[in-house]
Amino acid sequence: MKNVRALTPTVLLAAGLLVYPLIFSGPFYLDVGVTFLLAAISASAWNIVGGYAGQVSVGHAMFFGLGAYAPLLCYTLFGWAPIAGIPFGIAFSVALAVLIGLPTFRLTGHYFSMATIAVAELIRIYFGTWDLVGAAIGLQGPATARGWWDLTFRSELPYYFIFLAVLAILLRVTFMIERHRFGYYLRAIKAGERAARSLGVPVQQVKIKALALSAAFTSIAGSLYSVKTGFIDPESGFGILVSVQMVIIAALGGAGRLYGPLIGALILIPLQTVTNTWFGGGGTGLTFILYGGIIVLIARYEPGGVSELWEQVVSRRWRRKHAS
Amino acid sequence: MLLEAKAVSKAFGSFFAVRDADLFVDEGEIIGLIGPNGAGKSTFFNCLAGDAVPTTGKIVFAGQDVTHALPEVHARLGIGRTFQVPATFEDMTVLDNVMVGAFLRHPHHNDARDRARQTLELTGLKAHTDMAAHALGTPGRKRLEIARVLATSPRLMLLDESLAGLTPTELQEAIGLVRRIHEMGVTIVIVEHIMEVIMTLARRVMAFNQGHVIASGKPEEVVREEAVIEAYLGRGRHSKRRRPT
Amino acid sequence: MLLLQVIVGGLLLGAIYALFSSGLTLIWGMMNFINFAHGEFVMLGMYVSLLVVVWLGGGPAVFGFASAFALFVLGIFVYFSLIRYVLRGPMLAQILSTFGLALLLRYTAFWIFSANFVSLPQTSLSGTINVGGILMPVPQLVAGIIAILLTVGLHLMLTRTTVGSQLLAVSEDRGAAMLMGIRPDRMQALAWGLSAGAAGIAGALMAIAYPWSPSVGETFGLTAFVVVALGGFGSVPGALIAGLIIGLIQALSAFWFGPIYKDIVVYALFVALLWLRPQGLMGKA
Repeated sequence: MKNVRALTPTVLLAAGLLVYPLIFSGPFYLDVGVTFLLAAISASAWNIVGGYAGQVSVGHAMFFGLGAYAPLLCYTLFGWAPIAGIPFGIAFSVALAVLIGLPTFRLTGHYFSMATIAVAELIRIYFGTWDLVGAAIGLQGPATARGWWDLTFRSELPYYFIFLAVLAILLRVTFMIERHRFGYYLRAIKAGERAARSLGVPVQQVKIKALALSAAFTSIAGSLYSVKTGFIDPESGFGILVSVQMVIIAALGGAGRLYGPLIGALILIPLQTVTNTWFGGGGTGLTFILYGGIIVLIARYEPGGVSELWEQVVSRRWRRKHAS
Repeated sequence: MLLEAKAVSKAFGSFFAVRDADLFVDEGEIIGLIGPNGAGKSTFFNCLAGDAVPTTGKIVFAGQDVTHALPEVHARLGIGRTFQVPATFEDMTVLDNVMVGAFLRHPHHNDARDRARQTLELTGLKAHTDMAAHALGTPGRKRLEIARVLATSPRLMLLDESLAGLTPTELQEAIGLVRRIHEMGVTIVIVEHIMEVIMTLARRVMAFNQGHVIASGKPEEVVREEAVIEAYLGRGRHSKRRRPT
Repeated sequence: MLLLQVIVGGLLLGAIYALFSSGLTLIWGMMNFINFAHGEFVMLGMYVSLLVVVWLGGGPAVFGFASAFALFVLGIFVYFSLIRYVLRGPMLAQILSTFGLALLLRYTAFWIFSANFVSLPQTSLSGTINVGGILMPVPQLVAGIIAILLTVGLHLMLTRTTVGSQLLAVSEDRGAAMLMGIRPDRMQALAWGLSAGAAGIAGALMAIAYPWSPSVGETFGLTAFVVVALGGFGSVPGALIAGLIIGLIQALSAFWFGPIYKDIVVYALFVALLWLRPQGLMGKA
């Protein structure tokens, strides 16, 4: 019966997510749901390289942005259906990942983190000057659907299920990685790079693969975003909020755990919705202050996030129960 | 000749941690490395394992020049090592720690797990299989490191003070373990301060001091050599150096 | 002639970059730790100066000292309340700690001061002087020269004084330093104080000569990364030279390609540096 017990959380989660839009069917709730899914996808993608392998990227927006621009660029330049641009976004993101990983992964972890901020900023500023991609104004998608393939729906419901499917695939991939040699090597690198090398782990290769995989999925998240909203500009694609959100959601829920990002999104997205409406126009600024504070608290008290905290509480109760 | 290290030197700036050291190891030997702290033994080990690149000299393992190779290449060719300060994967279970090692020769999850379980049995860690590594004490961690390396099926094992800090009973068990590993066909080079280990296990001993090899030969002969005694005790009555224990 | 002016202007700004970047490299060299909030320390220094001028009406000496002191205290506080704990922890905690701090400081500043650009009211330093045909604004000239002097002063302090050698001892070998009676914890806190203080006073100097908003922290932070990477891990002299170079490159880029490109070129240089010479001019990676 062990397998049934292990599967229960997954089944409940899947059921909950599937049923949610049918119960909360208003446009507001659907929007929150879609935002939640997108955040969960992005954060889960970040988790592969940042959580499991411990290579902390604070500029992941670069992949998100490339993935977001690709579909709308293909539409604007060639008139294609935006989804046709998704593979290009992935290709560019993976190429960028390798380009960044090759020099920086040879050096200490800080170089990688610094490089991710620098490159994300570099691309953001440059895109703001580049007319081909709409400069500061950005790009737009088809205003009305030319066919089903343009994916411009009036209701958010279809987007919800598409995003849910992508999240399911990403989580499945992450789960498979966990069991595979690749996953063990990721964790070994995080736990002790020197020791990992002494056991034959090809550290450089594994890190780059992790970054590339993470970049690919982050790119997909970006593509989903721009296809849904029908709009992208340098700030919404490459802005620091995008990077920060991925990191905080994964870290808050539990970096390096399968459902960590999901838990983080479950906490943060409703919270963000509340603070954004509460504080009105000044909302984004205060949200950032809140994010900054949360990140510092996580770093200081519980880098393992809510998942770690929960485990400690549970194990303390278990120990107390079995003490006498 | 399984391992040939010729004229290996390692300098940090102008300071030579290892100076012109030679080591020749035949398959199946057990070699001991002794010397006071700071004599360069660990640095020499690091060069052999690929953790440090020698400033000069050449290291050849099983016919391949590994002088400038990355540590992971050394491991893949069959050189395994433990660390003076145990570097176990603290947040992973004992089993998972060993599986990381096992995956080197067994890419598939189930094979690696079987190999890991087998190694845990061999090293007496079976009871701790699902324990987190950080819950083990230092002796447990040292043994875990040995198990982890063993799972990579090495041809040569470099043990860096893996038997330090053990109680007399634990020490006997550990000596037995090293002997069993040797009997399985693994060539061993062991750095130790504990003379009992060196005398009982090593067939050949090299003594280091200030980066140089100052003596080499049978254990009983080396420990009686004047240069070695001087290295540990210092010259004259005014020096206060450690005795070999 | 104009080109020469651009060059001098770039070097003067670069001198201030050098000053605050030496703070960053000091921490990096000593604790192998990157402070992602360092740019925000500079930004705060600028606002402290503004507040001192507005509330107390002090001159450059007063607000310069105030900024240095306020940030010195902040640096020590940050060390004891946060850094000390994450140093022993996983990389994720280390990076998130100052990254989160940066967000906290930056957006609190946005909230308090709004996103508008501000500058100091006219101080005793004003006007332009003509040196051999080159017109140099006095504030920039004074700020740049003082920045160079302070950076050199920091280097001398580290290499010639007892305290300096204690700091360096801790960065070389913590254990050995402890055996010699040096308290690593105190030294590290002092280093944070010095680092933040350097950023603070650099901010004051910056405020004398250039307008700013809370957004400059992010740019200064990245600039500091580039300077430190170019100058080499832990090297203050390296930071000095690198700062001047970066200031120069930035000015020339703006002059030749347009103001938008000044940051792009610097960040691109950073990436190129990582590829080609990560150890920088004078350090070890």
